[in-house]
This record gives sequence, C-alpha cells and structure tokens, in this order.
Amino acid sequence: MDKPSHLSVILDLSPTQWALCAQSANPTGITLQTFLSQLLAFLNAHIACKDENTLAVFGAFPGQSGMLYSSTGEITSARTESTDANTYRPFRTLDSTLMTLIAERLESYDSTTEEAPIGLVGCLTKALCYINRAITTSSSSVTEIEGAVASVDPRILVLSVSPDQSSTYIPIMNSIFSAQKLKVTIDVCKIFGAENVFLQQAAHLTGGAYVQVERTDALLQYMMMSFLPPPAIRQLISVPTQDRVDFRAACFCHKRIVEIGFVCSVCLSIFCQPVPVCSTCRTKFPIKTLQRLRDARPLAAAAPPTKPLAPKNGTATPARPG
Amino acid sequence: MPPIVCSAQASYKKLPGLLELTDSHLQWTKAGEKAPAVKVPTTEAASLSRSKAGAPQVRLKIGLLSDEAGHNFTFTSPQAVALAERDKFEAELTNIIARNRSGAPQIPAPTKPLQAATPTPTTPAHGSGVGTPMRPPPALSRPSTSRAVSVASDSRASGTPVGSDPTSDFRLRKKVLLSTPELAQLHRELVMAGHITENEFWEGREHLLLAQAAAETQKRGKPGQLVDPRPQSVDGEIKIVITPQLVHDIFEEFPIVARAYNDNVPGKLSEAEFWSRYFQSKLFNAHRASIRSSAAQHVVKDDPIFDKYLEKDDDELEPRKLREERVDTFIDLGATYVDHEETGNEKDVTMQAGKQRAVLPLIRKFNEHSTRLLDTALGGPAAKRRRTDSGESEHYAQIDLEDLHDNQSSSGIVLNMQDRQRYFDGRANGTSNGDDGAGRVDFQEALQQSKASTQGWSANLTQLKIERKAGDAALVSMTQNVASRLDVRLRKHEIPEGLFRQMTTCQTAANEFLRQFWLTIYPPANESQTLSVATPAQKAAKAAKMIGYLSKTHEKVEALVGVAHQEGIDPARVQVAMKPILDAVNKALDFWRLKNSKAPGAR
Repeated sequence: MDKPSHLSVILDLSPTQWALCAQSANPTGITLQTFLSQLLAFLNAHIACKDENTLAVFGAFPGQSGMLYSSTGEITSARTESTDANTYRPFRTLDSTLMTLIAERLESYDSTTEEAPIGLVGCLTKALCYINRAITTSSSSVTEIEGAVASVDPRILVLSVSPDQSSTYIPIMNSIFSAQKLKVTIDVCKIFGAENVFLQQAAHLTGGAYVQVERTDALLQYMMMSFLPPPAIRQLISVPTQDRVDFRAACFCHKRIVEIGFVCSVCLSIFCQPVPVCSTCRTKFPIKTLQRLRDARPLAAAAPPTKPLAPKNGTATPARPG
Repeated sequence: MPPIVCSAQASYKKLPGLLELTDSHLQWTKAGEKAPAVKVPTTEAASLSRSKAGAPQVRLKIGLLSDEAGHNFTFTSPQAVALAERDKFEAELTNIIARNRSGAPQIPAPTKPLQAATPTPTTPAHGSGVGTPMRPPPALSRPSTSRAVSVASDSRASGTPVGSDPTSDFRLRKKVLLSTPELAQLHRELVMAGHITENEFWEGREHLLLAQAAAETQKRGKPGQLVDPRPQSVDGEIKIVITPQLVHDIFEEFPIVARAYNDNVPGKLSEAEFWSRYFQSKLFNAHRASIRSSAAQHVVKDDPIFDKYLEKDDDELEPRKLREERVDTFIDLGATYVDHEETGNEKDVTMQAGKQRAVLPLIRKFNEHSTRLLDTALGGPAAKRRRTDSGESEHYAQIDLEDLHDNQSSSGIVLNMQDRQRYFDGRANGTSNGDDGAGRVDFQEALQQSKASTQGWSANLTQLKIERKAGDAALVSMTQNVASRLDVRLRKHEIPEGLFRQMTTCQTAANEFLRQFWLTIYPPANESQTLSVATPAQKAAKAAKMIGYLSKTHEKVEALVGVAHQEGIDPARVQVAMKPILDAVNKALDFWRLKNSKAPGAR
C-alpha cells in the first residue's frame, strides 16, 4: 500500500428506487437512512486508511449529476457545521458536506410527477475527468522515474439500485474504454434491483469487482471487505466478484438489448436488423448482402412479417403470404 | 491382343521388362515372362510425373485413382531412345488422364483410400541399398511431384482445391487429417460410421484444405550451404549417392564441371565413369568446401581429362571474379575525412580476408555462392541496381530519403453522423425494463422520503450498528465466493480417463451435428459456391437427419451420467459439464419444432 489511492464514489440516489428498496421484503431492502450511515462509515474508513488517500463523491439524481464532495476541497457547503470536539475533524467535514449537499440537491426538485432517469452516466464521465485531472497534475509535480505512471491508484465505486437504461449503452461503453486507458478500476455494488448488464461489463472489462449484496443489513461488511482494498493489494487480498458476465449489447437503432445482431463493418455500430444504410457513418451496404443477411435470420423466417400471428386465435386457415 | 499404342523397355522394381500401352490398359511384363505383372486400366490413371531432364535415369511415375503411390517405371534403353519413348508415353497418358478428369465426376469411395493411406504415400517401398549410385525413388518424387502439378492437373492454379481435382483433394484432406489428430478422430467416428458423408464433413472446413494447399505449393529455396558432396565410407568402400538434384546443383555451383560434362559425355566417358572419375580427381578436391585434407579417405589421382579443367587457385590479393559494384556518385563525393575520424577514408590495405593464403579460395567461393543466392532471390544480378543514367531526377532520387519526409497526418474521412440526438439520447423503451418491479411509487412521495432520510444523519451515524449474524453471514458468503473461484483454478478434475474421453467425444460429435444442421438453415457464409450446392429438398432432408442424431444426444448424456455413477464419480459434475452442449442441442430442437409447426400451413 505505498501508493496513495483515490476513490471516486458514485451514489445512485433515485428516490423511487430507494423507496422501492425500503419497502421490498423479499430481498430484504434497506432504507436510505441506514444506507447513508453505513456509507459514511465506509467513506471515513477509506480516508482513515492512509493519510494521502483522496476521495471524491458524485451523486446521480434524476436528470442531473454532480460532485458532492472532494478531498481536494473544491466543494464546500455554505452552512458551516458546528465543530464537534468528539469527532475527528476530517470525518466531520466529509460527512457534513456530503449530507448537506445531498439535501440541497433533493430540495431543488419541484413538483413534477414523473421521475427522470438518473444521471449515472454523467457521474461516470465526471469522475473520469476528475481522475484524469488528478493524475496529470500529480504526475507533473512528481519528478521521479515514474513520470508518466500515475502516482495514485484510482478506482471508481458505483453503488447502484436502479436497473439498466439501454439508452446509456453507448456512453457507458465509451466511459469503460476511457477507464481502461486511464487504468481505472470500476467496482460495482448492486444493492437492489435487477442485474445491471452494462455495469457488469464495466466491472469485468476494467478488472473490478461486481458484488450483489444479499444481506443488506450487513452492507457495511460487504463494502469493507470488497471495496476497501485498493487495486494494488487485490492480488493478495482477493475480493469477491461475480464471474458470470452478461455480454449482451444494445442495438443502436432501438436501444434494445440484443444477443445476435448485425455490425457495420466501417464504424462497428450494432443493429438488430439489417439496414441498407448505416445510421452513424452513412455507409451504403450492397443489396445482395442485405438479401443474404435477411435470409440468414431464421428467427424471422419462423415469424415472417407478412403472415399475421394466426395461431393465437386458432384460425384454421392461415393467411397466404402477401 | 489389343492394339499396342506404344511400348518400351523399362524396368519396374529393379527388374527389366517391357512396358506397353494399349487402348485400354497399361501393362508391364517382366522379361522372360508371358503374363504382365502389372496391368492397369487406363481409366485409373490419375497423375503423371517424370524425372528431370538431364537426369541419369529416365523414369516415369503413374499415379492411380485408387492407389496414389502408383507405379514407377525406369526406361532402360540407351538414353536418347529412352527419352523419346518416355515422351511418347507421357503424351499418351496425359491425354488419357485429361479424359479421365473430365469424364469421371467426383470423389472415390472414402473408405478404401483411407485404408491405403495409413502408410505414408510418398514412400513406395523400393528399398534399394546404399551401395547403388542411384537414390531410391522417394527422393526423386519430391522434385518431380511439383512438376507433376503442371503436367497432370490443370485447375490447380485456381487455388480452390475443393471439387476441382479429386486426387489432390484427397491428398490434401489426408494431410490435414494427419496433422490434426482431433480432427482425425472426429472424422474417423463420424464419417467412418457413416453418419456424415465425406463432403459434408469438409464443407465449411475448406479453409483448412486451402491452407494445406498453399503450404505445399511453396517451394524451398536454394540452400545456403555450399554444394559439397561428402563421400561416405561404407564397409571400407567409398560411396557417394548421386541424385539428379545433386547433379543440377553441382553444375550450377561449378560451371567448369558442367563444361567438362558437356564435352566428355557421352563421347569419351559414360555418365557413371564421369562421376566416379570426377570424385577422384584433383578438380573435385579443389571444389571442396573445407581445406582440411581428408586425404586419408580420398585418394586424389591425376586424371588426364579432368586436369585440363583445373584452374589456378584463387588466392591472389584480388579475387578472380571481381564484384561489380556500381559506385554511387553522391556517396563518393560526399565521403570526407571527417566522416571517418578513426580510420580516415583511404583504402584499407590491412583489410585482407584470411591470414592463411590457402583459405582465400574458399572464402571467395563462399562469397560467390552467396552472391548467386541473393541474385536469384532478388531477381538477377544488378538488374535492380542498374538504372539508366538519365536526367537530374535520377540523381535527386538518390538523396531523397524517406525519413526526411515531413510527417503528414491524413485528415481521414470525417464521420458524418446523422441524427446525433437519437444516437446519444434515444431514451425509447429503455425504462420499460426496470419498470413495475413491485408496484409504482409516486415520485413526490419518494422524494419526500429521501429528504427526510437526510435529516438527522449524525445521530443515525452514531447509532450505526451491524447485526452480528448478518455480518457473519455476509462474510461467509463472500469468502465462499472467493474460495470457489480459487478452487476452480487449483483443483484438477478427477474424472477417470475413459469417462472423460467419452464425454469429449459425445460433445465433439454433437457439435459436428449441430454445425451441419445450422449449415442447412443459414445461407452460405460467402457468395462463392460451396462443395454441395444442395437443393432445398436435400437441405431439408439433411436437417431432418441431423435433428434425428441430435435428439439422441440426451440419451447419450444420460448414459454417461449412469457410467459416472457406477464409477463413483458424482453424476452432478458430469451433468454440469455437459450442460452447455445440451443447451445448444435444445435450442436447435426448439427451433426445428417451431419451424415445422409454422411450415405446414404455408404450403
């Protein structure tokens, strides 16, 4: 643990999802309150591990995203907290800044009835930009042999309760590639909700851990054991992760998740059905290829578009193909 | 007696006899016998190859459809006559083979040739002793096989071995099977047992055949070593085996010997005499690649004929054959004293190859040999280097170095994205996934709840407590996760060899059936025609057959589980191992069922 590690935490703060989570009985849910206290304990633990450890917290709210805390002191809250002699000062600063900002953000919502999808992707990109800045500034000040190698060990932790948004496939994949370039590990902690295909892929591709929490009342135990060790010592302290990764992608035309698709040979965009012109790079495909590909879809042959779905109604005479 | 087209004295398997070609057969009768020992119908003739022109022995090799090794005949008449005879035979047989090719459609029966294939085909057992000056046919067949390509097959050059040339096809397939034992095993089980025909097996595997064909057509280049035949001492006698290839190399390396040969053979000396005297002459000694005298083994005699060709040893200050170097005008002018401070830029008289004078001829011989090699590889001596000295542009081109060019980054093709909004936003029905998990929650309500949660956080924090049991349970589950992953990596399976092999064969066979099945469903991967252009009816029949085999896979797996149980292995492990292939099989079966249930209504 010689290198200081940087942790960027992305909090999924979708009120509806948290409400569902709190009500949920079958996988025992957790209320936002308990979650926040456990989270604070975890964050305090991280900055206590090593003096040089840095922390940045981002919040993903419905329709917006923002930084909530940063140990380099960029975010300060307007209200000065009362100094408490019994609390370690850095902890106090962290906790209070974080909570006040969350409250402020939540206040900013007016009376809309529909919840916008959370800005998880925005948080991810902001975190990557922040890390990039941190790495370049630290390496420029360091004159050792390491030079180009980052002197911090950065990682991102995503605490998620919401399901997948297929519209975010492309931006998430782009973030994953940038994370690979920056050598940032993305860990994912799934507290509630269905399996998140894109985040699974993110963890798998960057070498991080994807943990699905079963005993939510012991969430802190999960976080301490899986996400506290920095990537450097993960060779010694093995962290649990989920091996089974769902490698499906989302098509570019309808943003549906597909298993078998068609890929443009120029720009590598994925489509669920053969198109004459690629929508991203406007390459025209030859007609013969299209015909061949259309024939190559036996699933479509099983339910051709010209025939109505007769079997459901049990009609004796199916319609002739048009 | 059927009319004889041509006949010649020829030996077969070292026995003299008469070779005859009739309208229907090619036959060879041993001298003194009545009935032909070898009688081959002409329809069987598949390939032809002959020995090099100028080789001491005149040979003809005929490959058959059923037996690739075929028969080797050596024409025993005096040289000129033998050559003429052989040419005649060759012309006739080429016609016959071409007729066979166009007439006979497709592949021979797969079982028979494969059995003949197990001994390697290129060495017909003509075991000749070391004592003879002629090397056995296998060595001959190497250079002549490559020529057989041009003689026998016409469509080889197209590069698609499949379907155009039965014998080469077959040979390629055999080679591929020999090189990959797993494929050979699969082939043995499926094709031998008759489940899949030969063609079907190779459909989709054409790339393997193409690769093999490409690897074969590559010819080895000239060897880098100097041509130095070393006499081998056998039972006190000194023997050198002379092959046509060796003769060719010697003529190329030492043109003097070629000249001597042309002058003296067949006038003054016969071939055998020529070679035996050559190897005992001083000329040969001068051509050795080593200056260590092996005089103990090799008696160097004076030879009136060969000594005429002796040259003075090449050990003066300058080599006898000066290198032709084209002086670059620019470099000459550019060289200044400053460029070579340590040594100056004068001619270096101390640079003399070899302290011993005796070594000089050898070194120069090596140099010449290397030059020759490079020239043949690069395409002719100085052919590339010589340019017409015309105009300024040629001089400028010499100093125009690639590295000095400015680094121009190409602007590339700009990506015109249509409809950027849709690409980046497109929220469509993405949210429908996670909707309605356990009932809709009102946003405002949820918002209020969240706001309430953020109040009083410090008090909550101080009261934070984790239940002991919950913590332990979490710890245990995480440890198990890590342990099982580690376990998988460390532990090897203890499934016994026999059972494991059965499982693998079951899996590979099922894979092959699946591949054949999906081949019938999907259209071909590339536009070119594949081996079997099957009609839809044929495809349907094949698909049905494959489905039949696939349905039996379940029973096979059950049987394997039973065997595992008997042997004391946990059957669950076998089931887990075979699960992926079962999933694939089920998918295929479901698809087929779906297809068939919809199909009857359509037609």
